[in-house]
Amino acid sequence: MIDLSQTPAIPVTGDLSGSEDDLRIQIKHLSKKFCRNLKRSYVYGLQDIAKEVSGLSRHSRTLRHGEFWALQDINLTIKQGQSVGMVGVNGSGKTTLLRIISGLMRPDIGQVKIRGRIAALIALGAGFNPLLTGRENVYINMSILGLSRREIDHKFQEVIDFSEIEHAIDAPVRTYSSGMKARLGFACAIHTDPDILLIDEVLAVGDFNFRTKCYQRLSDLRKNGVSFILVSHAPSAIRSNCDYAAYLSQGRLVMYGAAEEVMYHYEQDIVFQKTNQAELTSHLIVEKQSTNTPLQIRSIALQDETGLLVDHLVTGEPAYVVAEIEAAMAVENVGINLIIRSLTKPHASFLFLKSGQDVDFFSLPAGKSIIKLYLPYCGLAMDAYSMKFNVTNEGVLYRIQDIVESFKFKVIGEEGIDRCSFYQPRQWIMEDEPTK
Amino acid sequence: MNNHPRKIHEVVYTPDSAIHRPRQMLKEVYNDLLSSGELAWRLMVRNIQGKYRQAFFGMFWAIIPPIVTAVGLSWASNSGILNVGETEIPYPAYVMLGMVLWQTFTEAFNAPQAAIKDAKALLAQVKFPHEAIILSQLGEICFNLAIKLLVTIVIFLVFQAPLHWMLPLSVFPIILLIMLGTALGLLLVPFINLVEDVSRSIEIAILIWFLLTPVTYPPPPDGILGAISRLNPVSPLLGGARGLITTGLLEMPTGFWVMLLLTPFIFILGWLVYRLSIPFIVERIT
Repeated sequence: MIDLSQTPAIPVTGDLSGSEDDLRIQIKHLSKKFCRNLKRSYVYGLQDIAKEVSGLSRHSRTLRHGEFWALQDINLTIKQGQSVGMVGVNGSGKTTLLRIISGLMRPDIGQVKIRGRIAALIALGAGFNPLLTGRENVYINMSILGLSRREIDHKFQEVIDFSEIEHAIDAPVRTYSSGMKARLGFACAIHTDPDILLIDEVLAVGDFNFRTKCYQRLSDLRKNGVSFILVSHAPSAIRSNCDYAAYLSQGRLVMYGAAEEVMYHYEQDIVFQKTNQAELTSHLIVEKQSTNTPLQIRSIALQDETGLLVDHLVTGEPAYVVAEIEAAMAVENVGINLIIRSLTKPHASFLFLKSGQDVDFFSLPAGKSIIKLYLPYCGLAMDAYSMKFNVTNEGVLYRIQDIVESFKFKVIGEEGIDRCSFYQPRQWIMEDEPTK
Repeated sequence: MNNHPRKIHEVVYTPDSAIHRPRQMLKEVYNDLLSSGELAWRLMVRNIQGKYRQAFFGMFWAIIPPIVTAVGLSWASNSGILNVGETEIPYPAYVMLGMVLWQTFTEAFNAPQAAIKDAKALLAQVKFPHEAIILSQLGEICFNLAIKLLVTIVIFLVFQAPLHWMLPLSVFPIILLIMLGTALGLLLVPFINLVEDVSRSIEIAILIWFLLTPVTYPPPPDGILGAISRLNPVSPLLGGARGLITTGLLEMPTGFWVMLLLTPFIFILGWLVYRLSIPFIVERIT
């Protein structure tokens, strides 16, 4: 895992000195406790209600038995027109934070200031009654979201136009497909004239065209000064729709800053936290063994183009895999085989490179020799890998002389994991003469 | 979308109890009440429409329980199995009216929990004035009551039971009856949701309460049952409404005046508990 304490993150709290006018969400030292044991959490609930009603303070920095911090010391400021993507693995506190911002839950410590009308798209079409028609449900849904009858009358046609279900508006909602319900729900929510939109993973439903339309509308709203928080597991959605990103891990805001930078770290963490960091290496020295094979691998290392040792490879950059092999006597027809697998995706990213196929076999003199594998571009995408490295006679596997079973290393990429599964060297060219 | 500048509404969420800022809280209560009226109306219409659109006989199901009780108890009384003493009006009409009033009380008592159960998904996802779901339930109760009272009047006419000219005044004890039921239901909201045993024992408690309340029998003048019925907060309100409809007299005048003073306080207390406890309940039941 990337040590976040050392990453040059943009200050976790935004600029607080600016004017209050464009402030939309301001979270100061927010913490929230949860209890996993249901019975106990009910007892704590009763205690909390008793304190609330009697006016006693609930403020306490200590956890009661069985509790844990669902959110801890969150500081975040979001201004007018800012769009913030929120990422984190399941259980990191994203939904809890959204629910506190939308006022559904109370903080345990700290405070949350909200300026403006919030529309939460946590579940689209909350409160739709399947027996009633689309038209009736639009009126109910929008009045739940806080609009008066006159305002709804005024917006109704826009909602129908946007959701593209004019033909079915007088049919009961239970006859709608899930996509239609989501469209109608989204249309209702965005037509409530919100200042702040909270969107939790809801745009995953619906077809491609509608998603594009939603994102287009979000971008329009943002130009009109609407701020939004988008929770998504699709990094591309956050990259293309948000200026900023907040990265939550185990209830803490570990990084807040420009979306591209935060997403980059997040993705690295996602990839590398699945692997044991201590096992990753870039230079492996093998002890001399008392076997009677004439060839022994003494070390394997990763180097950059200039021959310097590096602790990881970089996608798209040239690199060397350097092996030091010691021969007890001169050996002819030596072949080297490399098998590289992803540690996180067991069935993906498979490379099987054989020196005997690519070039002729090597003839090694007695003593130490260095054999280098030059990669003009490292084609591996960002991930952790395991390399099996063996030295054979004539390249056949049953005549293996020595083997390093698992050389684990990592590859860092400039691009996110969701973009490409391998690196394609490329050039873009525009011809001078237009074709006729 | 929104070109004209509008006043930005600001709200701050803290762990501090709202009790400490009574002025702020009253303002919020006022705003929530104001904005929940229309929503409550919509939710009520939705619920009633939803209910009656699915059932073939619609209203039939609302009036059948008191009729069955009235028929059953009249039969029991006529055949001598049950001795309820003298009633001022024909017994079937007496039972019918009592049952309709008692049902209204229990519906009001169950209303807050029914509202929370119905709106569980909504409570977990959208912030809206929580008064709305209670108001919509109360609206539904009044709607049901109106229908049942119409049927009751028909039954009165059939049995040639007298209707007193003071009948319109019965609206006050009925309002108090609904307020008392709702208030007790609101007070129990945290317990019903967070203590499993309470939610399980509610039905039994209601049944025992029913047997101890002069619903199908006139208030006993003395004995243990008489003492219990005098202490029972429902008896003077239910009896008051019944008395004003049939004889023009409050059945238990002292009790009625006491409840007239007490009920609003209990109601406000229940409302407060409900308002303050919802966020803690939402956190746990969803």
